[in-house]
Amino acid sequence: MKVPFSLYVHWPYCTFLCRFCAFSKARVPAKGVEHERITSALLKELRTSLAPHKDKVLQSIYFGGGTPSLAQPRNIAQIIEAANSLVPLASDAEITLESNPTSAEVGKMRDFKQAGVTRYSIGIQTLNDRTLARMGRLHTGAEGLAAVDRARALFPGKVSFDMIFGFEGQTLDQWQKELETVLKHADNHMSVYQLTVEPGTPLFRDRNAQRVVLPSGDLSAQMYESAVEMCTAKGFRHYEVSNYAVPGSESMHNVGYWQGRQWVGIGPSAHSRFIDPSSNQRISSMRLPDIQRWAQHCEKFGHGTAKSTVISDADAKQEAVVFGLRMLDGITDRRFASVSGGQSLKDYLHMDRVQQYVDDGYLLWNSTDAQLAPTERGLEVIDSILIDIVP
Amino acid sequence: MNKLRVIDRKKETDISTYPPDLIRNFSIIAHIDHGKSTLADRLLELTGVISKTGKNKQVLDKLKVERERGITVKAQSASMFYEYNGQKYLMNLIDTPGHVDFSYEVSRSLAACQGTILLVDAAQGIQAQTVANFYLAFGEGLAVVPMLNKVDLPTAEPERAAQQIESTFEIDASKILHMSAKTGLGVDAVLPSVIENMPPPSGSIDQPFKALLFDTWYDKYVGVVCLMAIKDGSIRKGDRIVSNHSKQKYEVTEVGIMHPEPSPTTSLQVGQVGYITCNMKSVSEAHVGDTFYRDKHPVEALPGFVPAKSMVFAGVFPIDADEFARLDESIQKLTLNDSSVSVHKETSAALGQGWRLGFLGTLHMDVFRQRLEEEYDASILITAPTVPYQIKYRDGTTRFIRTPADFPDVHTMQDNVESTMEPFVLATMIFPERYLGQMLELCTLHRGEIQNHVYIDEARVLLKCRLPMAEIVSDFFDKLKSKSQGFASFDYEEAGYEASDLVKMEVLLNNEAVDALASVMHRSSSVVAGRDMAKRLREVIRRQLFDIIIQTAANGKVVARETVKQLRKNVTAKCYGGDITRKMKLLNKQKEGKKRMKKFGKVELPQEAFLTVMTKSE
Repeated sequence: MKVPFSLYVHWPYCTFLCRFCAFSKARVPAKGVEHERITSALLKELRTSLAPHKDKVLQSIYFGGGTPSLAQPRNIAQIIEAANSLVPLASDAEITLESNPTSAEVGKMRDFKQAGVTRYSIGIQTLNDRTLARMGRLHTGAEGLAAVDRARALFPGKVSFDMIFGFEGQTLDQWQKELETVLKHADNHMSVYQLTVEPGTPLFRDRNAQRVVLPSGDLSAQMYESAVEMCTAKGFRHYEVSNYAVPGSESMHNVGYWQGRQWVGIGPSAHSRFIDPSSNQRISSMRLPDIQRWAQHCEKFGHGTAKSTVISDADAKQEAVVFGLRMLDGITDRRFASVSGGQSLKDYLHMDRVQQYVDDGYLLWNSTDAQLAPTERGLEVIDSILIDIVP
Repeated sequence: MNKLRVIDRKKETDISTYPPDLIRNFSIIAHIDHGKSTLADRLLELTGVISKTGKNKQVLDKLKVERERGITVKAQSASMFYEYNGQKYLMNLIDTPGHVDFSYEVSRSLAACQGTILLVDAAQGIQAQTVANFYLAFGEGLAVVPMLNKVDLPTAEPERAAQQIESTFEIDASKILHMSAKTGLGVDAVLPSVIENMPPPSGSIDQPFKALLFDTWYDKYVGVVCLMAIKDGSIRKGDRIVSNHSKQKYEVTEVGIMHPEPSPTTSLQVGQVGYITCNMKSVSEAHVGDTFYRDKHPVEALPGFVPAKSMVFAGVFPIDADEFARLDESIQKLTLNDSSVSVHKETSAALGQGWRLGFLGTLHMDVFRQRLEEEYDASILITAPTVPYQIKYRDGTTRFIRTPADFPDVHTMQDNVESTMEPFVLATMIFPERYLGQMLELCTLHRGEIQNHVYIDEARVLLKCRLPMAEIVSDFFDKLKSKSQGFASFDYEEAGYEASDLVKMEVLLNNEAVDALASVMHRSSSVVAGRDMAKRLREVIRRQLFDIIIQTAANGKVVARETVKQLRKNVTAKCYGGDITRKMKLLNKQKEGKKRMKKFGKVELPQEAFLTVMTKSE
């Protein structure tokens, strides 16, 4: 059976910059995006990086950024084609494109579908227009919902959207009302994130200067719990900390991240994680974040890798548990074995502490299947638990 | 000669040409920051011992910790050659620590001298330690030669300072030298003044060898190095010497002077001060104050010293019990060069195996802790600095309590204890008159009994106050400084024990008493202190997956209660491919942080929790 593989494509331009965003991106330049140049660089990097993995099968492609829906559909098509020619796409491969709900981008949906995109993810974030404006987003809540409706028509069962809670001034009641509305329009998948203040972002500076006051930890906890309750009631499974899906419609690409699938990332600042076929070493690498420099490197050297490190077995084992436990299905010995060289979870983890957490209702340990998983309560405080049980 | 002299260990200098007449053994005593170390540097430069470059700044302060704090912990000596009036003199500068905690070290080094420079900052004038050190030197029969430093400062008032000296110590103001060690002004006159005003050492070359051991340190290559003042006779390599105290014999392997590094000489003779190595294995064999004589030629012993008494105690425990052996080794190595730290092994129900260390003062303790953490990479918990309390039982027996957890509980108190006693000190404070109100208030706040206050000049007050030692062992000094904007100076001496109404303050976490957080205090402050402690603990204890109830109880009665509410949510919202590396770094960092926490039952306590019970907030 062929080893499954994923491709991540980072498209770095945006028309507006959100104050909370920590991704590597740039505003669309005055004279416009150099579509051909960027695409050409992406293709070069793609060919260099995918070539060693010809023997694998491409399970998913994810276009993120930036705002990938600002790209030209024909460029998207070129990338998908090029990828397929190097590492054949699986018959049920998932090809996701992230989009913003502005009308210009919504208008391109059909063309993206034609280009090969199979799944659409829309950044709604919030239905509160004032919050959207304060965060620097140039669309309304109504436009967000409309975008989802249109996408559902074109990509039935394959539409997802992002929501954020924990904005300044937001009450529990407001959040619950937003969720209720959004759930009416939901398709099969949604991501619900707590607003996180990342260093280097405008929001970070706002908070430090005390220009913004965010909800307390306990209020955020209540909002999180509301999301779990309300989404679950509507038939979504809370399969990962911030992700909900009708069973069977989980994000294949993201599940890959949490379950240790290999992937290559192309585009400025993109990360990769794969086993180098020639050395059999586990590699983690990152591309140059500066768009111009990255493009120059791709043109000159065929790729724009900034740094590359080897992941030790100890690190790989830690990661498998830390990421596995973000999912409600947790991690099994079978999956752990692929990085542990056969060592069982029972021998690796501090089982006495695991048992204590099981007794206290935070974890579930199924010894027959050798599966460790969090309960909903455990998932909510999983970071505290992980520090304790992982060596 | 301004070049740095290269020390050739193989080449021995012959200093036998320096009879006592041409020798001066002197020290510099001063209040902190009055410029003692700078002056020492200047003299060493002047005599060519060190070069004039900035790198040699404060050469005598060897330890990194000392340099950081600008204080001298370890006393050293340095020998200099100086030509005066056509004669070549051997000048031995015996360095002394500047802090009241180290008065023991001061007295040891003074016994090796015949005179001392009393250095006073011309801008600050006489301070408490100036006074204390003067009386120490005077008591040893030393010639005290006062000198004014920092006359270059715009705030300097040399005439006023000279008057202060005259009125406090009855020394003729006109004889006082004015200088600036920093700029070099007037420094030329220092050594001539030392030669003229201080007597040469007494003793005879024809008498049998007799030397005073006044300091030691451990060198990993040669073993124990002894600093000695030769009182009679001479000594050279190959001689066999005997310790008067232990009667143990040693063969001398090397003798020399500190120049400023050890420089071998052919011999050391009467009146000279230098180092001797004699294959002594452990510092514990060297008893400071001991007399040494040549084998088969015993002499009358010199008067010894009173060993230093520990004033401040603290419990030291490894955070990780597995680290005990390594910490043991580190503490042994550190105390090798500091015999004034008293060491007792101790076991705590809460913290496992550790030590109760006794220090000369809080600065002494703090320097020790810093060295342990930095030089030996130790992860330690320090529990409340305590003073030794005394319990008198009804059956007539008395017992010293050094660990708060050992303090009798309320039942034992009622049934068996007659009285509880605490040690007192007599403190001397000197400050500008405008702070008198604040200083009086500070003393009364700390259960002090004002003895008297006098004006030592038109603007400065000297205040004497009797205080419980427990009141000055943590942040008293800091408060003194802040309430006087830094102008007040402080010194103290032991003043016996007195009966006192003491209670044991316990900290309970989820209803279990944590021994390591126990403290002893006067009943009058127990309620306020208990409330304060509970509040501050609530701030430093991090939320966990369950509620943590903090209670403080004085003699078994709860005085305050605070809750650290359980952590409801702790999970990273976004974790995708590009976040993996960062997330793992953070996780491992948090794991490291957790290692520095100590678990009591299920509750994790950070180091700060232990520090919290040590200090009182205002």
